[in-house]
Amino acid sequence: MKIRRIGALGAVVASSALVLSACEAPGGSELVEDTSVAIGWNQAFYSQNNLTSTGNAAANANILYLTNTQLFYYDEGLNVVRNEDLGTYEVIEEDPFTVQYTINEGPTWSDGAPLDAYDVFLYWAAQNDQWDNVAPEYDDEGNLINEEEVEAGVFFDSSSPGANAISQIPEISDDGQTVTFVYDQPRSDWEVVLQPSPVAAHALVDVALGEDDPAVAKQRLYDAFANNVSEDLGPISRAWNDDFNFSSLPEDERLYLSSGAYVMTAFEEGQYLTVNARDDYDWGPEARIESVTVRYSEDPLAAATALQNGEVDMISPQASVDLVATLEGIDGIQFQGTAEGTYEHVDVIFDNNGPFDAASYDGDEETARLVRQAFLLSVPRAEIMEKLVRPIQEDAVVRNSHNAVPGAPNYDELTENNGSDMFSEDDEENRQRAIELLEEAGVDTPVDVRFLYGQGNVRRENQFELISVSASQVGFNLIDEGDVMWGARLAQTTTYDASLFGWQSTNTFALNSQANYVTGGVNNFGGYSDEQMDAWWDELAVNTDPEVETELLIQIERQLFEDGFSIPIFQHPGVMAWRDEFAGASTIPLSPTIFWNFWEWDIDPEDSIEITEEPLDEADTEEE
Amino acid sequence: MLAFLGRRLLSSAVVLLGATFIVYMLLSIALDPLEELYASSAPNREQLIESRIDQLNLDTPAAIRYLMWLQGAAGCLIGQCDLGTSWVTGQSVTAMLGSAFPATATLVSVAIVVAIALGVTVGIASALRQYTGFDYGVTFMSFVLYSLPSFWVAVLLKLWGAIGFNDFLADPVISPQAVAGISLIGGLVWQAIVGGAARRRAVTFLVAAGATAAMLTFISATGWLLDPSLGPVAIGVVGVAIAFGVTALSAGLRNRRALHSALTVVALGLALYYPLQFAFQPAYASGLLMVGLAVVAAGSGLLVGWLFGGPDRGQSMRGAAITAVLVGALIAVDRLMQVWQLYSSSSRVGGRPIATIGSQTPGLSGDYWIETMDTFTHLVLPTIALILISFASYTRYSRASLLEVMNQDYIRTARAKGLPERVVTVRHAFRNALIPLATIVPLDIANLFGGAIITERIFAWSGMGTMFITGLDRDDANPIMGYFVVVGMMLVVANIIVDLVYAALDPRIRVNA
Repeated sequence: MKIRRIGALGAVVASSALVLSACEAPGGSELVEDTSVAIGWNQAFYSQNNLTSTGNAAANANILYLTNTQLFYYDEGLNVVRNEDLGTYEVIEEDPFTVQYTINEGPTWSDGAPLDAYDVFLYWAAQNDQWDNVAPEYDDEGNLINEEEVEAGVFFDSSSPGANAISQIPEISDDGQTVTFVYDQPRSDWEVVLQPSPVAAHALVDVALGEDDPAVAKQRLYDAFANNVSEDLGPISRAWNDDFNFSSLPEDERLYLSSGAYVMTAFEEGQYLTVNARDDYDWGPEARIESVTVRYSEDPLAAATALQNGEVDMISPQASVDLVATLEGIDGIQFQGTAEGTYEHVDVIFDNNGPFDAASYDGDEETARLVRQAFLLSVPRAEIMEKLVRPIQEDAVVRNSHNAVPGAPNYDELTENNGSDMFSEDDEENRQRAIELLEEAGVDTPVDVRFLYGQGNVRRENQFELISVSASQVGFNLIDEGDVMWGARLAQTTTYDASLFGWQSTNTFALNSQANYVTGGVNNFGGYSDEQMDAWWDELAVNTDPEVETELLIQIERQLFEDGFSIPIFQHPGVMAWRDEFAGASTIPLSPTIFWNFWEWDIDPEDSIEITEEPLDEADTEEE
Repeated sequence: MLAFLGRRLLSSAVVLLGATFIVYMLLSIALDPLEELYASSAPNREQLIESRIDQLNLDTPAAIRYLMWLQGAAGCLIGQCDLGTSWVTGQSVTAMLGSAFPATATLVSVAIVVAIALGVTVGIASALRQYTGFDYGVTFMSFVLYSLPSFWVAVLLKLWGAIGFNDFLADPVISPQAVAGISLIGGLVWQAIVGGAARRRAVTFLVAAGATAAMLTFISATGWLLDPSLGPVAIGVVGVAIAFGVTALSAGLRNRRALHSALTVVALGLALYYPLQFAFQPAYASGLLMVGLAVVAAGSGLLVGWLFGGPDRGQSMRGAAITAVLVGALIAVDRLMQVWQLYSSSSRVGGRPIATIGSQTPGLSGDYWIETMDTFTHLVLPTIALILISFASYTRYSRASLLEVMNQDYIRTARAKGLPERVVTVRHAFRNALIPLATIVPLDIANLFGGAIITERIFAWSGMGTMFITGLDRDDANPIMGYFVVVGMMLVVANIIVDLVYAALDPRIRVNA
């Protein structure tokens, strides 16, 4: 073939194509738009059921807070706010202590089935251990030896002291809207013991037993628990434990039913999770934003850059001085230091024949007490705040209470009266006082103190350095017992005399920390024991009056400071940052932190850089 | 051959077995799954600790737990893989690998191809211009790149490549000073590459600088970056340049038939520009269609070359096929550019198209072209970061290797018998210079799969590296073991492939020993 001919052919094809294209432009690309915000988070969602020991994580709780309705939530002042649009709960009898939950008519799960008292019932039943008739057992080689029993038996991998305080099967009214719980004895935190279950009762039964009529399924669930039908409870418990874990959007919609403002619509493994507003939702605070996407990135600085680049609208990554410096250099965003739910403290050991044990001073309690007080006084809290905490959170304050989170409703009253004023704001003053106390105790200095803390944790290592220097001026010689496996050593109190670590709070009720202080409590590593203390806690546990609780706490903490039990230092500092276009950023120290007020979030409608020209019609671009 | 393979596989299996045991034991010492529970003040803490010990068999000696793990892993040989589950999320490790491996493959595949192509080209150019300013410049640059820490490069890329570029897009006007500066640098680089006498250099400098300045001014004045397109004119110009370039390398410009067949496919491509717009409609477009069209393009290139006939049809066919595929790719790129404005001004992207995290924009519901554009904007920075790491070493290897080959006797012989320098370089030297490279590439690929940890973390790419690092963070041993098994196996396989490739390329080596 001659080249010329090919050229001619080409010309014909080209010109005919030109003619064709003038008739009709080929289909262009299109996009669908809505209002949306993106929140950066460090860990991906992985379980719809955050009541199991596996699913219990902030990554899950945050999303469930968006998709699941609540009977109460914590507001900015850490007050419990009731959501009466969903339902009500009240104490209807003091003796026996009886609480009635009533769910309004109207709320539904996203598959259309009603949300009702059975969902609250499930929240309790799954966390109550009375039906768990088998725990997995292993032989020396780690093989499951009771596999058959586990396969057939009932084991809900969920447990809570509150749910276990109700052993009587609650009654559900005929219309299914009301459930009445009778506590074995009154409980101070009764208000936060129950919620609707994160997993819909009817969906659970459907997944476990294939019962797809919601009403029948719920009745079957109730009957199974009430009559202890283990052939039903076995599959139900296994479904409860395992079937609601997923790391990308499952095909089975039953696994992620929503009862709240949003419903999950997209979940790309390890990348992002999107929830969209439910049109029919009106039983609680309603969201303004149509779709919320949570994007996952582990690296805090990557999160900051993504914020700068507008890929996320709000972040709350792991805080560091570097991160704060980076955020300071970014235009168009705002950031603030925040207080997180974990607080740092120094504990001493009472019963290991060490420097803080009376046994070391021939049983002289008073000497031991003075030495303990002197040691705790030598902790340079102001210096720690100045050097390690305030660079991240400018307005951070020293924590002065063992039980209350700064910002909690009773914190101020508590700290004014609990004897925490024995610690001055001035480190030097504290050291002078400590030296006097040591002289009064009449012990030989320097006193050796084996000090346990988490090695590899830079902030704890720095704290140890500061404490060590300060304590040496007072007359204590700190022996570095920093250990990567510090957690496992906490219980081995013969190997250390004082420790530095954090306690985490999950609610504002003091009952949460009972086990830290009572004789033989599982978190009472120091072996502290005081009859009066135990009595106060017994009283506090069954008291349901907030005023009385604060009174009791004042006495408890006064005693704790007096006995030199421990010294709280600071709430772990965090950082949150958001773009100027994003409105409503706020956080609380408790779960769900930055998500607590999602209904107040808003985004500037002009949230995009204006393109100077109008988007061109596809056809126009073709013919240029 | 089979005996060799069998022996290699067997010894590799033993090595893997030993390595997994050592890693498992190290992990059992280093990770403490109970740690987070120690800080918990939950009243039922003891119970939680108890149940986790039961769940993870922590009361069993680690060596025995390893055997249990091995038993599950051995199931992979008979198709019943059980690499355990992550206790944190309850997800099975095989499922995690199933999503992590493709993510990493996407990330590193483009980077590998571009790094090899670019590295080898630059390395060879610098070898051919040995001891010139260009050579020294390349050597300097490659050492600089080689020594840059990847986390730092990644941060700089984000700062300039994403945030800087996106800010620039808000008002994409290039200042005259910048135009002058970039043109000057462009001119200098080109004259260094082309080389030759002072006069030739001066001309090259002027032409290159002028062309660069003209292009930048055009881009700036027309707002091209906001709504880019190539159009038939640019495709034609670039296509002709490709035709000349490909022919020059593969057959030599004196082979008129080869040149003409290449030019013909360019004309054909231009003629098909408009009809192709119909084929590229969102309703039809898919990755499969693109591959199919590429095959058709290559086929028609072969056909055109064959039709031109002549004594050496093969050369014409090859050149035309390569040209056809490249021109086809240009037309596809042109179509992709048409969605740029729509994409970057969508509310999800908000005028900031280059992304810093993730592998896709959440909630962007678009067709094939928009998705491709989205993948591109997410891949571009991590890919550059990865390229910069391996590019430098490829440059060094290919330069050294070509220099060595060029000093061989058979090159002198080839020149002595009067072969043109192009044939000597491309056919005699270049092919032999690739032998050592072929042995590096498989190992490099295996390394990239395991070693993209930092890049993945910084760009929030949930691949193998992320799986490894989050496993470490959360005291979760099974995902780490899963990662280790896969990466270890890739390294083992890469090593075997290296041996085979070497034997295939170099006739002096036998594998049946």
